Amino acid sequence: MTKFDSTYKFLGLVNTLALKTIKLRYKNSIFGFLWSMMNPIIYLTIFSVVFSKAFPNIDRYPLFALTGLVFWIFFSTSTIQIIESIINNSGILKSINVPVIAFPIAAQQASLINLGLTLIPFTALMFIFGLKIGPETLLFIPILLLFTAFTLGISLILSSLNVYFRDMQLAWTSFMPAIFYSSPIAYTSDLIPEKLIWIIKLNPLYHFIGALRDVLYYNRIPSLTSVLLITLLGIVPLLIGFYIFNKLKKGFVSQF
Amino acid sequence: MQNIAIQAKNLSVSFLIQKHGINNFKDFVITMGVKSPFEKKNVLKNLDLTIYKGESFGIMGRNGCGKSTFLRAIAGIMTPDEGTLTVNGRVAPLMALGVGLEPELSGYENIKLVATLMGFSKKELKNSIQTIIDFSELNEYEMEMQVKRYSSGMMARLAFSIAVATDPEILIIDEALAVGDMGFRQKCANRIEEIKKAGCTIIYVSHHFDEIKNICTRAAYIENGKVEKIGAVNEICDYYEKKLSNK
Repeated sequence: MTKFDSTYKFLGLVNTLALKTIKLRYKNSIFGFLWSMMNPIIYLTIFSVVFSKAFPNIDRYPLFALTGLVFWIFFSTSTIQIIESIINNSGILKSINVPVIAFPIAAQQASLINLGLTLIPFTALMFIFGLKIGPETLLFIPILLLFTAFTLGISLILSSLNVYFRDMQLAWTSFMPAIFYSSPIAYTSDLIPEKLIWIIKLNPLYHFIGALRDVLYYNRIPSLTSVLLITLLGIVPLLIGFYIFNKLKKGFVSQF
Repeated sequence: MQNIAIQAKNLSVSFLIQKHGINNFKDFVITMGVKSPFEKKNVLKNLDLTIYKGESFGIMGRNGCGKSTFLRAIAGIMTPDEGTLTVNGRVAPLMALGVGLEPELSGYENIKLVATLMGFSKKELKNSIQTIIDFSELNEYEMEMQVKRYSSGMMARLAFSIAVATDPEILIIDEALAVGDMGFRQKCANRIEEIKKAGCTIIYVSHHFDEIKNICTRAAYIENGKVEKIGAVNEICDYYEKKLSNK
């Protein structure tokens, strides 16, 4: 009965949905895609003006800020879009027997494609700010994939709970700025008092942004502990996310 | 003995209804999940119904009696709580017209989108896209137009064309054909006749006696989530009418 019996078909569905999302996002807008670059640029300008003076000991501050910001924005937009992805498609899910999980995965894919597109101009900008590349730069790809897995895992949990309690979506958007300022994105973790650093380390974003910065900003290979940690942080939430999603999906239709 | 297309035995399907208010959620947290913030509402209760292969079966009943829930269970969208539901064959659900259509996209792009949602692979889509366009009778200009500029009849054409393109074995039609101009309705009726001849089972939900008598041979009257009467379509129509006039 299931028409999406093959992985090939399922991936085709996810792909179609992701491309649709991207197409729709910039339809009927004049500057379209340029807007998705605006957000990081605005932040970057503010940070460069405000914080460059505040953190004079951070070398190449604009590059430092940008290497964190781009990925932060990827995280925040992905989660926000995925949280809504199920209820936004309730009409379809009520009437057609499609695998529900295609929608969050497609939203994640759309977000990843968008990141890829914004990375083109931002890489140019990073070079202007003093980006140096070496063999370690390539590590950026597996780190990004782990980061994506982490993001999807968290979002799957949030999105499936959001079907039952719309509070999730509201709470998550209000927590967003708090998560942002408690993650070392605009500042280095040296600025945190030694006694409190463990709190910062509880934040998974600390480790992902740290590893991405290692390869893009410090031009060094992340430490072994850091690699192991982000691997765990990528895979475990994703598995938990799938588990919770599968547990909760049976009741989705009742809530639409 | 005819082959069975759909058999529901003792079928119960329920909804989870959220109890409103913060107190229910508080109870849920305090009792560590013992006191659920949801209550179950049974929509279908011990429903028994058998539909044979190649048959055109009408389902009638008041609003809210559980017709759509039954259809959703057949389509695999809702899962039964109790009892069994056997469905033999590929189901094409036409629950509401225009589901999945994206108003901002063109007709052409929408065919690709909805067909993919319906389970078409890239190859199948490529093979049948021309048939879909031909059946819809929408011209090239209209295909390029954004669907939000379509009239509701045009939207119905597009949606119906995609749904019947799958060559379904079981076609579910939930009051979906009430729009569209006379010509297209005739065409839909013809296509349904064709699908019927090909041996497809049709499940038709409607409040229009004429339509249902035209298409179906047997029918069931559902009330309060139970099958109250099964019989020839005329018999059920009369029964339904009597029920309505008694109230």
